[in-house]
Amino acid sequence: MSLWTLILQRILLMIATLFCVAVLTFLIVNVLPGDVAVAILGDQSTPDQVEALRQSMGLDQPILLRFGDWFGGVMRGDFGTSLTFGRPVGPMIWGRLLNSATLGVICLLVMIPVSILLGAVAAVTQGSVLDRAITAITTFLFGMPEYVLALGAMLIFAIWLQWLPGAAMVSPGENLFTQLDVIVLPVLVISLGGATYIIQMTRASMIDALGTAYVRTALLKGVPRWQVILKHALPNAMLPTLVEIGLSFGALLGGLVIIETIFNFAGVGQLMVMSVQSRDVPVLQACVLVIAAAYSVGSLLADIASMLLNPRLRT
Amino acid sequence: MTTLATDPQAARSSRILTYLRPAEIYVVFLLLLIAIGPYIAPYSAYDFDPASSLLKPSWAHPFGTDEFGRDVFSRILAGARPTLLPAFASAVLGIIAGTTTGLICGLMGGRTDQWIMRGMDVLLSFPALILAMLVVTMLGGSTTILVFAIALIFWPRSARLIRSAALDIGKREFIEACRARGEGMGYILFREMLPNLRSVVIVDLALRCSYAILLSASLAYLGMGAQAPTPAWGLMVKEGQQFIQFAPWLTIFPCLTVALVATGTVLLGENVRRRFAISQRLAR
Repeated sequence: MSLWTLILQRILLMIATLFCVAVLTFLIVNVLPGDVAVAILGDQSTPDQVEALRQSMGLDQPILLRFGDWFGGVMRGDFGTSLTFGRPVGPMIWGRLLNSATLGVICLLVMIPVSILLGAVAAVTQGSVLDRAITAITTFLFGMPEYVLALGAMLIFAIWLQWLPGAAMVSPGENLFTQLDVIVLPVLVISLGGATYIIQMTRASMIDALGTAYVRTALLKGVPRWQVILKHALPNAMLPTLVEIGLSFGALLGGLVIIETIFNFAGVGQLMVMSVQSRDVPVLQACVLVIAAAYSVGSLLADIASMLLNPRLRT
Repeated sequence: MTTLATDPQAARSSRILTYLRPAEIYVVFLLLLIAIGPYIAPYSAYDFDPASSLLKPSWAHPFGTDEFGRDVFSRILAGARPTLLPAFASAVLGIIAGTTTGLICGLMGGRTDQWIMRGMDVLLSFPALILAMLVVTMLGGSTTILVFAIALIFWPRSARLIRSAALDIGKREFIEACRARGEGMGYILFREMLPNLRSVVIVDLALRCSYAILLSASLAYLGMGAQAPTPAWGLMVKEGQQFIQFAPWLTIFPCLTVALVATGTVLLGENVRRRFAISQRLAR
């Protein structure tokens, strides 16, 4: 099978998965014992209020019909109307999606090269003070909740040193590059959280690669050490790292939700937390779908990249 | 993935973690905290004392007091229970569901296995925190719901891990012999297969417990699960954060506690995983 057939297959699989995700999201919201109307109105609502809301939201109609309506809307980019703002959800999300995507991409651009560099350096200087320092710091950051890092960074850099703003007051869809200082702390925190896995994986697979016969052969042949490291060992060590980056994408998105909330950054994650607090179900549903879609696209890209890098996966 | 891959980095980099062998005293420490935390607390975790509100850390109040005059140190001690018990409960629940599913997949194989794992894949295509937030919001924010939501997150992850090991066992001859003997499904799953997978289940339990603490602390921080005035650590951070400018101790000490416990348990889980040489990719 050619590479393109495989990639096409993988894309079709992603579309099928996304459909299932939409179905499951709809089911969780509509079929589980908790009533949407009760969830919106809260526990203190009277049965009359609940009944009125059910009718105005069309909740008294058959479930399949409602799913058809909702899914058809989603396909056209219409996510319904926000209950708290009374505005269509679609336009609310797009501007924020742009912000979140920009933040996420900047984080990846900072995090991946720096982590690979640190992991490779640790592997090459294995056992040295530098290696021990890198390993100790990643071990310490391993499993640290994002909000602890975020609040720590905010306390140190925004409140005590007052170098950077502690809140990122950007409006949805605003050009982030005009005020880079507000995204420094979010980027720093997200990158620190995500880097630990990538550094550890790069270090481990780099050590494996350095111990192989072809590296020894190249060295004995007289190829300069830096060239062996960069051209022979590193490309082969990249594969597990790439898989690792794909796997940590879900954690990155979850982290984004928390970090956006803490730094008041107008992204999809912050909107999701706001919709949870105000029980704005249409917005919550839309946010979940958008984030799950981003997750699927991320794993798709990681899979395609590993297929391109590793001929053995193209079978 | 049909076989249980061993971790290539397991043998070598365990050196990093053997330094952290004392992490094992963590378990004892945490259990102790759960058992006697509320009783050794010097002050009440709930009673208001307006006269001593927002006091800086001192000898009388080592971690300071909050806006209602409650001692932060006492609240952290009393908070071990509402923070850690739901986490452990959800890990155990998720593993019971995941192990059963994984064993069934391993025993049946074929189409049953394929369909069940497809279903699990759909659950896996949500980022963990997002699915948990959705479920907790729709079902109401009680601690019980939180436990079920986290168990739901762990179910497919645990099933995938157990299945990968169970597929091998399911094909062995002694299982065939059981079938021929006419043993029931339950007997084969739990009396014949499960004992052979003991080490995988132990690793799973250790990892899930640590992730559960992390996940429930994040959810508590977002205001899900335990509600005020419960002194759950994540909730304390959320409440203290509004005073971060002039009373940073309300944020710092609960944060440090969460960080210490979460990092400790995650490292411990990793330690156990490497000792049994189970690949990190599968165990996620």
